Amino acid sequence: MSRFDLKGWHGKLLRVDLTAGTCTDEVLNEQWAKEFLGGRGLGTKYFTEEVAADVDPFSAENKLILATGPLTGTYGAANGRYMVITKSPLTGTIASSNSGGYFPCELRYAGYDMVIFEGKAEYPSYLQIHNNKVQLVGAVHLWGKSTNETEDQILAEFHGDAKIACIGPAGENLVSFAAIINDKHRAAGRTGIGAVMGSKNLKAIAVRGTGGVKIADPAAYREAALEAYGMLKQNPVSGQGLPALGTPVLVNVINQMGALPTRNFQNDTFDGAEAISGETLASTYLKRNKGCMGCIIGCGRVTGLAGARFSGDGEGPEYETLFSLGSACGVDDLAAITKANYICNEYGMDTITVGATVACAMELAEKGLVSEAEIGMPLSFGDADAMVKLVEMAGKREGFGEKLAMGSYRLADSFGAPELSMSVKKLEFPAYDGRGIQGIGLNYATSNRGACHVRGYMISPEVLGLPEKLDPQATQDKAVWTKIFQDFTATVDSSGVCLFTTFAIGAPQFANFCTAATGAEFTEETIMEIGERIYNMERVFNLKAGVDPSQDTLPKRLLEEPISDGPLKGEVSKLGQMLPEYYQERGWSAEGIPTNERLQTLGLT
Amino acid sequence: MIKIQFYSLIRLLLKQEKLELPAHDNENVGQLLQRLQQQIKTPFLHKLLDEDGEPILGTIIMVNRRNIHHLEKLATPIQDSDVVALFPPGAGG
Repeated sequence: MSRFDLKGWHGKLLRVDLTAGTCTDEVLNEQWAKEFLGGRGLGTKYFTEEVAADVDPFSAENKLILATGPLTGTYGAANGRYMVITKSPLTGTIASSNSGGYFPCELRYAGYDMVIFEGKAEYPSYLQIHNNKVQLVGAVHLWGKSTNETEDQILAEFHGDAKIACIGPAGENLVSFAAIINDKHRAAGRTGIGAVMGSKNLKAIAVRGTGGVKIADPAAYREAALEAYGMLKQNPVSGQGLPALGTPVLVNVINQMGALPTRNFQNDTFDGAEAISGETLASTYLKRNKGCMGCIIGCGRVTGLAGARFSGDGEGPEYETLFSLGSACGVDDLAAITKANYICNEYGMDTITVGATVACAMELAEKGLVSEAEIGMPLSFGDADAMVKLVEMAGKREGFGEKLAMGSYRLADSFGAPELSMSVKKLEFPAYDGRGIQGIGLNYATSNRGACHVRGYMISPEVLGLPEKLDPQATQDKAVWTKIFQDFTATVDSSGVCLFTTFAIGAPQFANFCTAATGAEFTEETIMEIGERIYNMERVFNLKAGVDPSQDTLPKRLLEEPISDGPLKGEVSKLGQMLPEYYQERGWSAEGIPTNERLQTLGLT
Repeated sequence: MIKIQFYSLIRLLLKQEKLELPAHDNENVGQLLQRLQQQIKTPFLHKLLDEDGEPILGTIIMVNRRNIHHLEKLATPIQDSDVVALFPPGAGG
C-alpha cells in the first residue's frame, strides 16, 4: 500500500461499493492531492480517472464522490465546506456542487478526506460512519421521508450527535435538479447530484467523528488564521454586510442597476423588488443569521413564517432564490417564496433550477404553448400560489410536475420552444442578466457546469467593485478577469474554505493556509495553477462527454433580444467579442479545445 | 426635490427607507452626502466613505440608477428630481 506522509489531509478515503455492500479504506493518492488539493479538484481527478465520460448518469457505473479539502474542519476563515462530484443528469457535464455546514467537518473528524460511492444498492440504504466503524444499513423506513424527517430519524436511531447529508423525495424520484441536503438546511444544490444519489438507492450518509485534523506547522497555521480572521472581520462585506443582511441584500442593488431577471428574463426591473428584498426579509421573517462550522461571516438566514399566510420554519431564502422563485416568476410575495424555499429544502431540490423552470412554464403558458388543462391549473406570471404548488408537484413528479422535473430546457423543448429555457448547457441562470453585466455572461457561457455564477463570480468586480470596479457594460479585459475568477474559485472549492471569504482574502492567504496545514509548499502562483489545472481537467471531461464548444453560448434572448426596460434598456450580450479572447487567454485553440501543449504544461497528459 | 433612498445597513441604522431634500444649485454627490449627514444627525457616512472622504471599496452610490463610479464619482452633479440610492458594501452569490 502506498504511503501518505503529508499533514492537513488524513490521507484516507472510503470506497463504498453499493452493489456488493462493502466499505473499504484506501490511502489517498499523495501526488494527486498536491496537484489537485481536495474537494472539487481531487474529487474530479478521481472521478475522471475512474469513470468513462459517456457514462449514463443514472447507471451503476456512474460514481458519486463526496470530497472535503485539506482545510475542511480547521479554523481561521470559514472552513466548513465540501464538494459532491459526479456526472450530471441535468447537464451531461461534470457535476460538482458545494455545500457547507457541520457535516463536512464531521467527515474529517471521522478520519476521512473523501467517500467514493460506486454501484447501486439493491434496496434503499444509508451509510453510517462512526470514526473507523463504517457500515451500510437499510433505509426502507426512511424512503419517502423529507430531509428533516430523515435527519431526525437517523439522529434517533444512530447517534444523537451525528451530522447528516441526505436526499429527500426529489432525489428518490430522480428529479433532474435534486439536491443533497446536509444539516437540514444546507444544500449541495445544483446540477442534480441528489438524483444520482437517489438512483443508487442511497438515502443518507450519517457521520460521527471525534478526531481532529493534523496540522503540519501549528504556529504558522495560527499566524495564517489570525491574519485571515482579521481581514474577514475588518472587511465591510464579510464583517458587516453579509452577517446583517446575507445575500438577499443584492435584490435592491441588482434591481436598481436594471439587471434583475424578471418574468423569465423578459424584463430586468421588478416592481416587486422591495417587497422581496433583504431589507424586507430582515424586518419580517428573519429570526437571526447563522454560520457554517467555524464561520465568522454567518450569511445563513434563519426564518419563520409565523403570522404569514403560509406556515413553517427553516432557513432561507437567499438572493438567488428570491430571484428564481420571486422576480423570475413575477412573484412579489415573500412568504410564498420562503415557503417554496422550505419545500425545496424538505424535498431536496435546487431552488434556482426549480424556480427558473416554473418561470419557463409561466412563459410557455403566457404564449399559449401549454394549456391550462395540461398544467392542471391556470398559470400566469405573478401567481404566488401556483408557484408554490408547482414547486411541490415537481418534487413529487406529480401531474405537470413530471414535466417540470426535467428542468427548463427539456420542458421548453417538449413544447417546441427550447429558446424559452434561460439556461446554458441545460443549467438555468442565476440572478444576474448577462446582457447588462457582460463578464458574468462570458462566465456563464464558459462555466464547466453550465450557467453558474459561482464558477467565476464576475459580479464582484463588475457590480460590487471588488477587488476593483469594472464597467459592467464593457467587454475589454473581461476574458482575463473571467479566467482569473474561474481558476481561483476552482482552488477555493478544493480547499474546504467558503468562497465568500474571497471578498476579503486572496491567493496569498490561501497559500499560507495550505502550506502551514499540509507541509507541502504552496505559493500564490501554485494556488492559481492548481485552479487552472482543475478547470482544464473539467473541460476535457466535458469534451469527451460530448459537450462541445458550440455549447459555450447563451440563449437567443440574451444574444439578440435587447433588455426591454430600465437603465440598461437596449443592451444585449456581446459574447462574440469576448469568447475568442477567452479561448486565447486559456491557451486553447480558436475552436475552444485545450491544446496538448497547454495540457502538458498543466501536467494533464 | 432630491429623493434619497437608504439600503442595507444604512436603512437598519437609520430605521428609514428614504428622505427628500430640496435641490441646491451646483451641488454634487459628495456635497449632498455631507448635507444629508448634517440633517440626519445619526452618524451614517462612515458606512459609505473612508477617512479621506472617498467611497469605501464596495460602496455603491447610484444616481438615477447609474453607479457614480462610471459617472463623475463624488463629483457627479445632482439636479432637482434626481433619485440617489445609497448601498454600503454588501455581496451575494
